[in-house]
Amino acid sequence: MDALLTIRGLTVRFYTYEGVVRALENIDLDINQRETFGLVGETGCGKTLTALSILRLVPPPGRIESGQIMFDIDSNLKPTDLLTISEDKMREIRGSKISMVFQEPSAALNPVFTIGDQISEVMLVHRQKELSDRAVEAVSNLLATRKGFFSSFVRPIWLVQRKLYKIMSEKQGSLLIRFIKRIPLVRRLLWRIKDESEKMAVVSLKEVEIPDAERVMQQYPHQMSGGMKQRAVIAAALACSPKFLIADEPTTSLDVTIQAQILDLLRRLKDEMESSVLYITHDLAVAAELCDRIGVMYAGSLCEVASVNDIYTNPLHPYTLALMAAVPRPGQEPQAIGGTVPDPLSLPPGCKFHPRCSQAMPVCQEQVPQMLEQVPGHFIACHLYRGEASGSSG
Amino acid sequence: MTGLGFILYQLRRNPLSIIGITIILIFIVIAIFAPVIAPPPEGHINHYMIPRYGYSPTPKPPDAEHRFGTTQGQYDIFYGVIWGTRSAFYVGLVVIGSVLVIGIVLGSLAGYFGGIVDEVIMRITDIFLAFPPLILAMAITVALGPSLNSVILALIIVSWPVYTRLVRGDILSVREEDYVEATRGIGSSHARIILRHILPNSIYPTLVMASLDIGAVVLSAAALSFLGLGAPEGYADWGQMIQFARNWIVGLPGNPFAYWYTVTIPGLFILFFVLGWNLLGDAFRDILDPRLGKR
Amino acid sequence: MELRTYIIRRLVLLIPVLFGVTLLIFGLLQLFDPVERAALYVKDVRQFSEVGAIIERYGLDQPVWIQYGNWINEIFHGNFGWSKVVAMPVLDAIVNFLPATLELAIFATPLIIFGGIFLGSKAAAHKDRTVDHATRVGAIIGWSLPTFWLGLILLMVFYGFFRGFLPPERLSTDVSILVHSDVFTRYTRMNVIDAILNGNGRVLGDALRHLILPVITLTVVNLAFIMRLMRSSMLESLGRGYILTARAKGLDENSVVNKHARRNALIPVLTVSGYIFAAIVNGVVITETIFNYKGLGWWAWQSAINLDVPSILAFALFNGVLFVLTNLVVDLLYARIDPRVRLGAQVT
Repeated sequence: MDALLTIRGLTVRFYTYEGVVRALENIDLDINQRETFGLVGETGCGKTLTALSILRLVPPPGRIESGQIMFDIDSNLKPTDLLTISEDKMREIRGSKISMVFQEPSAALNPVFTIGDQISEVMLVHRQKELSDRAVEAVSNLLATRKGFFSSFVRPIWLVQRKLYKIMSEKQGSLLIRFIKRIPLVRRLLWRIKDESEKMAVVSLKEVEIPDAERVMQQYPHQMSGGMKQRAVIAAALACSPKFLIADEPTTSLDVTIQAQILDLLRRLKDEMESSVLYITHDLAVAAELCDRIGVMYAGSLCEVASVNDIYTNPLHPYTLALMAAVPRPGQEPQAIGGTVPDPLSLPPGCKFHPRCSQAMPVCQEQVPQMLEQVPGHFIACHLYRGEASGSSG
Repeated sequence: MTGLGFILYQLRRNPLSIIGITIILIFIVIAIFAPVIAPPPEGHINHYMIPRYGYSPTPKPPDAEHRFGTTQGQYDIFYGVIWGTRSAFYVGLVVIGSVLVIGIVLGSLAGYFGGIVDEVIMRITDIFLAFPPLILAMAITVALGPSLNSVILALIIVSWPVYTRLVRGDILSVREEDYVEATRGIGSSHARIILRHILPNSIYPTLVMASLDIGAVVLSAAALSFLGLGAPEGYADWGQMIQFARNWIVGLPGNPFAYWYTVTIPGLFILFFVLGWNLLGDAFRDILDPRLGKR
Repeated sequence: MELRTYIIRRLVLLIPVLFGVTLLIFGLLQLFDPVERAALYVKDVRQFSEVGAIIERYGLDQPVWIQYGNWINEIFHGNFGWSKVVAMPVLDAIVNFLPATLELAIFATPLIIFGGIFLGSKAAAHKDRTVDHATRVGAIIGWSLPTFWLGLILLMVFYGFFRGFLPPERLSTDVSILVHSDVFTRYTRMNVIDAILNGNGRVLGDALRHLILPVITLTVVNLAFIMRLMRSSMLESLGRGYILTARAKGLDENSVVNKHARRNALIPVLTVSGYIFAAIVNGVVITETIFNYKGLGWWAWQSAINLDVPSILAFALFNGVLFVLTNLVVDLLYARIDPRVRLGAQVT
């Protein structure tokens, strides 16, 4: 299995009034092709921030201090470091190669635009060539089939349109097209592009199992239920068949029954599209169901990374163990983890978990533990383990 | 986090707000120390009437005796603008204070009880708002006879609807919160709920708006005085002094700025006074808005 | 609730509000004595000598509600009384002075609204950079300026100093004669439009020259206000979740700001537009007074100073109606832009 995304040494800091917050510290992470990776941890541990860093959408006053994010954009090319490419190139990747689904569908959708609008806009940005080709085909069809007397009045318009669509297809950033788009009446000539994008949007909506997709296209977010909205958001994210989908707690704000449906949907789509998924959640059970590998985060650092089987049968890190024990089981008292999550402004030195760790040793408050491979495929950052299977993270 | 330390920090970071605060502090000092800065002459009874130093209708430029010159009828400009600061604060504070009280009472009734009480109060505010404020103010001052107090009354009548709506909005935003339900659950009286729980949690933006409106109120009062509907002739009021100056802006043939001091100086006082409040207001808005998150 | 129902409901609510406005005006009336109130019922200067008879006929010393009924009756018959400051019936005065004010408003309003929206957007999009700070400072100073003072200073500089380059009033004397002569047809009584329609460059130039200062005076303060509001509204809009989503979709910054953020940001600005209208009316009174520009505002001020009761009341009524209608238009625009208002908050 080769890696789709390789993160090395990702460090993000926030420069605030109260001080510098070390939000992410030296994150090393590999995500393989066609794999679902679950990123698990408490609220505020940096899971969402990791996702935003991949897309380079870290909000100010945050800054990506250092690191490398190698992404395999195209199997024919070498992986590129996302943190070094230009903003223009990054924008080409966002929404088409890497997509993100956020936690709150109501917040993610713009209340003043229709669902159809918000999905077709993704197509318009990233699949222009395809749209133009389809438009050319549609017009050519008309020209070939409609030969009546009345159509001869419209033919010149069709010919102009076809020419324009051909230009759009071949030269993406054509100045002529950009110029025409600015002129109020003339730009109506390009309507077929929008039309095709809407057709494609309907297909997307059907893919996410939204009933009565044509009608939903015209609806506004406030007219839909939470589950429907989230499906629409997923539709927009998957519109361009991304190689990598980031799902940030997509079901946390939904009812449990809807949650199950969305999870099923995600599972099916992921299989169909052969994409990798980074699934962020604080719910261990969901992670167990959906993911191939799991990464556990605490206070801005990764603690443990292993296959889902290994994590649940053989958890190594004290924090992981504590998390498992904290899950309520019938007949057992849930065991809360003693202490509280550290103040991000004054993190403990050394291993950040040591103040709450039942197995803390003197070295834990002096040295930050390295991420070492303890068992093949099972990585852990803890002074209790020596990393018998050598190698770095992943 | 809206602790005082935080507010002070943000203010420090925002140079414009520092300028605003400084300006206002300067004006407060001027107002308090007016009798010292511009002492009224011997036997001058009504301190708020500008003393006259002659009867010539032509303004005289600044000189040693009259630091800012005199306006027509020989009223000392320096005295006028210094004591005018007191008038400005008087008008501003009385109007805003009254409007806040009315707004809190009516706004609370409308927002808290809803239903028909709300509808009625809202329709009444609609009616008042439908009136162009200046015209209403003009009509009131004309009817009551021009004086500073008429101006104050007129401005109160014109402004109360806005504050009623604001307070109502504040109450609405907080009314459905859980802690209000909880208080209701333990049987608190309506008044208690409003005064102790709802208002303290929601009214800050309105209070901020109110304190900043002091500047706007002074502007409106000046406009009314300028139109001759406010303070009587010779009263120490900035707007009134500009009204004096109106005839002199064209100056003399060959020297259009001959009488610049009559119009520029009082105007600058108004400008800086209002500017100070606006700068402060801007800063407050920048601080409070993002911190309050979704409201 | 459907759009049509919404409009009808609003129009129906208009009536009690207008009713209330007239009540308010009439209430104010009672503060004046009967003689002055008699002026309301007079259409012709000759009738003044019969004041006593008028008082009796219209029952001006009778209980309030009867007087109110009479007054409303007169209004419905088109008799708004006599304006002593301009020596003509009030209705004629309104017709006479309206075009001038309209001309002023037509130039100022788009400047205020579009200028404010544009500058506000730019400031928000480039927050904390030079553009933002520059426009902020400009806006704050602009908003703090007393309108009347600004007008006076402008006059002092551009009229006094520059030797009549930008003069007050509507037209220079000689051009004014030309306009009132047979050579020139006054279609709309708005000088700029009429000049264009007449193809007369001289009148056009003169009219524009006279308009510049009043328009500036009127615009500055209100532009500053809209700009500030648009800026903060945009900033709030830009902080929302859908902006992050838009960026995550790979949209370019331009689309994010202009398409997604702006439409949401316009909503509160629109709400305020109604109040801006009131501010323009206020500004018109002061501006016209300073520049001796004979429009409705000037007339209103003259009436106020001279206790010309019928004029004041007619002006107030006229404005009340205009304001309520403007609010309705604003609400309709609001409904058009914000689908939540238009379609009601429902969940299917």
